[in-house]
Amino acid sequence: MKISQTINQSTRFRVLSEDQIEQIYFAALEVLERTGAMFYHEEAIELFRNSHAVVRENHVRVPACMVEEALNFYPRKITLKGRNGKRSLHIQKDTVTFGTGSDLPFTYDRETGERRRTTYKDVNNAAKLVDALSHYDFFMSHGIVSDAPNPQTYDRHQFMAMLEQCTKPMVLTSVDGEGLEDLWKMGCLIQGGEEEFRLNPLFVAYIEPISPLKNDRTAVEKLLFAADKKLPAMYTPCPSSGATAPATIAGMLVQSLAETLMAVVLCHLKKPGTPLIMGGVTTLLDMKMSTYSYGAPELSLASAANTDISKWLNLLMFSTGGCTDSKILDEQAASEQMMNLFYSYLSGANLVHDVGYIDHGTNASLESLVLNQEMMGMVKQFGKGINTDDEHLALDLIEEVGPGGEYVTTDHTFDHWKEWYLPKLQDRSDYETWQKGGSKTMLDRVNERTQELLDTHTPEPLDEKLEKELREVVAAADKRHS
Amino acid sequence: MLTLKELLITYNHKYNSIMSTYLSNISETLISGKGDELKKLIESAVNDGANPGEILNQGLLPGMDAVGQKWKDGDMFMPEVLRSAKAMSNSMDYLRPMLKEGDMGNAGTMVIGTVAGDLHDIGKDLAAMMFEGAGYKVINLGIDQPGESFVNAVKEHQPNILGMSALLTTTMPRMGEVINSLKEAGIRDQVTVIIGGAPVTEEYAGEIGADLYAPNAGSAVEITNEFLQQAQ
Ligand code: B12
Repeated sequence: MKISQTINQSTRFRVLSEDQIEQIYFAALEVLERTGAMFYHEEAIELFRNSHAVVRENHVRVPACMVEEALNFYPRKITLKGRNGKRSLHIQKDTVTFGTGSDLPFTYDRETGERRRTTYKDVNNAAKLVDALSHYDFFMSHGIVSDAPNPQTYDRHQFMAMLEQCTKPMVLTSVDGEGLEDLWKMGCLIQGGEEEFRLNPLFVAYIEPISPLKNDRTAVEKLLFAADKKLPAMYTPCPSSGATAPATIAGMLVQSLAETLMAVVLCHLKKPGTPLIMGGVTTLLDMKMSTYSYGAPELSLASAANTDISKWLNLLMFSTGGCTDSKILDEQAASEQMMNLFYSYLSGANLVHDVGYIDHGTNASLESLVLNQEMMGMVKQFGKGINTDDEHLALDLIEEVGPGGEYVTTDHTFDHWKEWYLPKLQDRSDYETWQKGGSKTMLDRVNERTQELLDTHTPEPLDEKLEKELREVVAAADKRHS
Repeated sequence: MLTLKELLITYNHKYNSIMSTYLSNISETLISGKGDELKKLIESAVNDGANPGEILNQGLLPGMDAVGQKWKDGDMFMPEVLRSAKAMSNSMDYLRPMLKEGDMGNAGTMVIGTVAGDLHDIGKDLAAMMFEGAGYKVINLGIDQPGESFVNAVKEHQPNILGMSALLTTTMPRMGEVINSLKEAGIRDQVTVIIGGAPVTEEYAGEIGADLYAPNAGSAVEITNEFLQQAQ
């Protein structure tokens, strides 16, 4: 018998020590007492005013005790169900899921090779690919439906474009509180009513504060709506280190945690027990090009550290990976996307979004979605760690094969090689085989695979009656805003 | 004994060499972004009788040109550039009341803001700082600005440049609406309109009748000044 054994079922990775997390957490509490945050929403101000918070006009400061009380009321598990009826997205500690990002204004056109504005059809196509590709667990729109009849209702049209071709759970952006309410109504129609939606939410609402420490009307109105309906939501700061947050990662983490904790308190005041998820696209403003970087190594480092903090706080984490600053899908894109995919996975973030983003969050690319499928497969393989039970230590086998023997024909190999990662698009062939196959590059193969999926994948269609009801919600919104 | 003429010549020489030392020191101090030092330097130059127009045109502006060039070449980075821009803008606040008509070149007044429904401000603020750094007086309206606030600001401040920022596909059309309102108010011709923001393109600027588009804050001033020069 063995005692005091620790077996790693999976790879372990951590950036911050517990003491460092405490330093950051206490500093964030200090920010809430000393600096506070701005709220531009009447009900929010009223809620704070009727609590132990200190309110001066739109400025709110909160004592640490309120934060610590509120923190006890957040769920550690949220499970989403896609319109395919599968409760497939388990948002809970140490479970990593991957998904796309949203709203990219431009699209890399596959036919012309040029950049143009993103349309309904592009969102449709992205939906189809995400539906088909196994490593995507949830779908954000990837692009924005810029050909919607009215900018004020584009979110409802976007949701339709997503639903038509994707049956998986989703994360949705919305124009404002009214928009979110419509999306929620549509979600309830799909899940069979408000009660069923509460148990089987179809989507998480994406909401952001404005760093540093500002909360605008639309964001707060969405947050309060989510709190009221027990609709899962994430409040995800997007600080750029050096511009809207300190130029030090620690300082950025302190500030962004303070922003999160403010929302934690507000939701608690509205209704205890909001399914609120912590978030953050914690990155830097490139000081040469003045762009918000989606490929900087600091993005990966800060995001992984942020996930460490979330785990310590018992909050779920919405993080970032699979994205790049490169204008097109090239060597830079692959290396940056791989790096932030890898570390977001190892960190154990529960929802990793923005997979497939190129051109620092402004350009959509279907090929990029397909390339990332392969990379997510590799990353997940690494995360599996190493099994060290007797079967895997293979002592008997080593003995059996003996010095100078071979393993290729043994039963053990036959049984276990299937645990390996099987590349779909990567080429491991010898030179001649590769050459005879047309000397294809990775991008050639990605391109072919993209076309193949677009041509062949048919997602389960939306029920006709349901589709009609959904379109009625959209039409009613268009009418209100015409 | 020197004649009066000789005395004047020596004095002039001395004066000129003192002034040219001042001007090159001003340029260098501006490039290194030392705001406090720059302020003292300009004050004592003025006290010693330097011409404020010369300080601007032969000291500060060449300094900022060098900063711009160094930035382009990758020898200077945003925090350094903005520190110089801030020093420039503080110097301008001090010099502006002393400047004469014609001293200012293109550098006039700019009104800038983010359009209604849009809360993104980092890019707009960077652009504003770059214009300040180029000697412009900048009135920054902030974010989420309705059309009338742009129109009113143009009426009130009589800027030669109006800058608008939009980061959302959904708020871009607001910029065209502002341009139409300017037309309706009969003041479109008074300002050069420049727009920017992630989803905005040169083509779009053309579509909505803006004069200029800049893909980033660094190039905005250059594009504007070139345009103004050509218009003259
Ligand atoms: C940071 C950020 C935010 C922050 C903004 C904080 C702040 N204080 O500004 C927050 C979190 C608040 C935010 C909110 C939202 N955002 Co946002 N945001 C960004 C992000 C990631 C970076 C923007 C940035 O700061 N860039 C760095 C600065 C320096 O660059 P810049 O703004 O482009 O400016 C440069 C140039 O464009 C130019 N420029 C800009 N303005 C001007 C003006 C003039 C006159 C000139 C000459 C030049 C110029 O010079 C600047 C410097 O070089 C972008 C993605 C991206 N890469 O653009 C998304 C992005 C713009 N956001 C997006 C979205 C969807 C939203 C939300 C709608 C999300 C939501 N549903 O809640 C909300 C909208 C809120 C609102 N009503 O405005 C989308 C827009 C999609 C679209 N097609 O419309 C983007 C593209 C990301 C994405 N793909 O989803 N966002």
